[in-house]
Amino acid sequence: MKSMTKRKLIAALGAATLVVTASVAITPSASAAPVCATAKSIETCTGTLTNGAGYLLKMPVNFKGIMYFWEHGVRPTYPGIFSVPTGVEEIAPTSANKNGVTDPFDISKEMLQSGKGLASYDGTVKGMRGWNVSFRVEMIKELIDITTAKYPQIQKKVLYGASGAGGSLTEFVEKYPTYADSVGLMAGVGAPISVNGQSGCDLFYLLSVFADPTIKGCAAMGGKGAAGWMAAVGELQKAAALLTAWSKNLGAPGLEYPAALKGSGIPQRSALLLMGLLGGVPTKSLHMDGISTNAVIAEHSINATVAILENFQYALGTTVITGNSIGEMIGPGFYDNTKTNYSALLDEGDAGRYNLGLSGDDGINAMLGVLAMAPRVTGNADTVATFKAMGKVSYSSTLPTILLHNEADRLVQSGNTAYYVDKKREAYEAALTKWEASKVGPKPRFNTLAIYALTPETYTKFTAAGLPDLTGAGAVSGVEHQSFTKKQMLAWVGMLDVAAKSGKVPTGAYVEYLATKVPYLSGDLDFRPNDLKHYNK
Amino acid sequence: MITIVAAFAASALAVSILPAQAATTPGVSATEIVLGMQLPQTGAASPGYNKVDDAMRAYFDYVNSKGGVHGRNIKLVVKDDAYKAGLTVTTASALINKDKVFAMVGSVGTQTHISVIKDINRRGIPDLFVNSGYSGFYTDPKKYPTTFGALGTYVTEAKILGKYVKETFPTKKLGILYQTDDFGRNTVEGLKISGLTFEARKTAATFIAGTQGSLGLDAQMKQLQANGVEVVFIGAVASAFAIAVGAAAKIAYRPQFVVISVGSDATTFQTILGAGGIPAASSAGLLAGTISASHAPSPSETSDEYVKAFIKINDEFNKGPDKRWDNNVLQGMNIGYLMTSALLGAGKNLTRPGIINYVQSNGAKLSSAALAPLGYSATTHEAFTGFWVGKYDAKTALIPVDSPRKLWTTDSANGAVTELKYTRPAIAADALPKVG
Repeated sequence: MKSMTKRKLIAALGAATLVVTASVAITPSASAAPVCATAKSIETCTGTLTNGAGYLLKMPVNFKGIMYFWEHGVRPTYPGIFSVPTGVEEIAPTSANKNGVTDPFDISKEMLQSGKGLASYDGTVKGMRGWNVSFRVEMIKELIDITTAKYPQIQKKVLYGASGAGGSLTEFVEKYPTYADSVGLMAGVGAPISVNGQSGCDLFYLLSVFADPTIKGCAAMGGKGAAGWMAAVGELQKAAALLTAWSKNLGAPGLEYPAALKGSGIPQRSALLLMGLLGGVPTKSLHMDGISTNAVIAEHSINATVAILENFQYALGTTVITGNSIGEMIGPGFYDNTKTNYSALLDEGDAGRYNLGLSGDDGINAMLGVLAMAPRVTGNADTVATFKAMGKVSYSSTLPTILLHNEADRLVQSGNTAYYVDKKREAYEAALTKWEASKVGPKPRFNTLAIYALTPETYTKFTAAGLPDLTGAGAVSGVEHQSFTKKQMLAWVGMLDVAAKSGKVPTGAYVEYLATKVPYLSGDLDFRPNDLKHYNK
Repeated sequence: MITIVAAFAASALAVSILPAQAATTPGVSATEIVLGMQLPQTGAASPGYNKVDDAMRAYFDYVNSKGGVHGRNIKLVVKDDAYKAGLTVTTASALINKDKVFAMVGSVGTQTHISVIKDINRRGIPDLFVNSGYSGFYTDPKKYPTTFGALGTYVTEAKILGKYVKETFPTKKLGILYQTDDFGRNTVEGLKISGLTFEARKTAATFIAGTQGSLGLDAQMKQLQANGVEVVFIGAVASAFAIAVGAAAKIAYRPQFVVISVGSDATTFQTILGAGGIPAASSAGLLAGTISASHAPSPSETSDEYVKAFIKINDEFNKGPDKRWDNNVLQGMNIGYLMTSALLGAGKNLTRPGIINYVQSNGAKLSSAALAPLGYSATTHEAFTGFWVGKYDAKTALIPVDSPRKLWTTDSANGAVTELKYTRPAIAADALPKVG
């Protein structure tokens, strides 16, 4: 789920001309031996996996025994509004769009200097893009086999990745537990894709109820090939038109939809805030801290509403990329909300905290009341079941695993990391109970650690006209997706390094210590972001 | 860059050499107990509330001057959330992670506290004596097991005021102005249980909390006036009540106001109207005759033994910028007294679960200046279960409507309102709570 670097989605959508190329069928063939060259004390090797995917290895002369295998996230399948990748894009942890104004940067230079070997591959080969995480499990194995054959001096292996890599890495370590010594998930998808996808599809559905009844959202996703993609993009374009209008009028006009609320006096921005809260969209964004106020943004809930507006487009874009690819795999009709109780998705704390922005209890009750009676989307029962079964894992890996997530990730909600930790703990407790009954073998250890990058306390800036400044640098930490400071990424890698050597995640005391050295890295071991909205589904 | 790499190499090394941290209770050392509090010290909602923390600290300083609790001094760390719920999240995090507080105490505000209550409870941090009467915080201890109130609930108070109004003004046309949130909803609920219901947009006027300052309440007061409402209940914060009274005065509308106690604080009322150019004498006149309620003696009851003792401590120990004796100072002192009781009762081996269990199990033993007992039990964490009804005089003192004063008690559900017979334990000569 790559962030949309240097191009604003809405603007891109407005000018989009789809130039669609047909995907190429995959034909397995024997992988070629890597081709290597050495320059500046680093041996660089390239080659292809058996399915034709390119890979890249970088081995420093001062190699200290640990090889790092990087797994990138989900990529778009078709061109047009998004860039379709070609070849290996990332070799090491990469901050995708730091502050939205700086080019992506990685920490490969620092890792190589400190004697770490790097390996990566192109997980998007020959059109196998979108949510292709299960498909990539065997590619990871092949990459590791090739690398360890090439470099027998490798003593430890760190398997780490970002975003959608959470899915593929979690599947991988359960299938091949001896292939890694520590595991890292950065802004990772930690919950089943159906849990995430349900919220993304909800956002489209809610837009259809409160703003544009012609929106079909995920019900329109899953058509094959370019035509199917164009249909999905069409949904995104409708949503983008709404967001563009709201960005100009701040959602001040009254609701036009649903008909029952027309003339109610509830402004569109209250519905926008409600939609964001029901969909789990963060109430902090690159430029909006959810707190700062002035004469125009008179209350913190209005600030939070603008934050949701700023984040919304990215959540929808992610849904289109992922949802359409899933639909292509398992067929349309994977989204069904006939049993969703939207009132239950509004957190009591949010209803109180954002009461003014939601037009008070009367506004909340009116909107939720109408929503409860609105027609729902009925999916295909078989496809829905397949969707829910996708990427099911047991969370039983005992490898030391360290997760890093932004507090207000706009694409992969940080609740994914909390979900992952919860499931790992459930698996650990079950193993512990079993061990206590038998006392056979080593006592299970809880070997998972989550750390979060937080935002500054306040960072919203206002223009001379008093409007929120949505073009400046924004928050230095804690927002956007796969966007971290160099120090944060290095700290994470440092912990993975130690975990690979020791077989254990660092202690809480160490994390607290680290937090004093790395700005905005939380040392709060009990920090918990908002739960995913469909956590228990 | 070498510096960064080297630093991380060194820090990685530190992983293996850092000693395991001993299991300790956060915020508790051999010599000190650190407590945290959040409230608006600045901003529109701060008048009046911003005196509560200084009063609490004054009482703790007094306790410390007498040797502390089980040999430990009490330190109160206060964060200003400006009554912005987003900021409350941040200040709570700072209190927990940077200041390492043992417990939260006396935090002010419903909408602010609702944004952090779940997290505080999830962490098992005692959330004691919260300055909000929202029943949803207290009536289901399974939901919020660490949270205990410092006020009677708005439902309880509304039921008691509702009974009084029903009996006192049987022929008057009743109306209500309430904020459309938990506070207002609690008020309406309590009045409904009392048999008082209102008609939307006729005898019931509403506003969204937070808009009273920018949008005013002129339209609401005109609506009530136009519908012939003679008695207006107010289920809203003090700033809204002040603005409502100002709006009514502008249209020569002078109904009988009946106000939930947190909305009728005289200091806040006069400060807000004063900011609008209304002198204190005039604002006192506007407040006069307003009916409200209280669980504690009025600050004007200077012969009350608790009031007398607290005034003395306030004079000597309060280092705040405005230590003038009023209801906010009285409430702050009383929470300080209650907290000291809880710390004493929890014992020398102080733990978070220990103090929660102690408070939950010993509500009846925790004395304070209040004229009603605490309701804490395993099934509810509601604080004071009784109120007396009073009327503000021309000097902004709340005077009991009954002589001798009658206390009334009820629950936050459908229970009847009955007269309360409660003998408050006397305060000790040293003004320190005694437990056991």
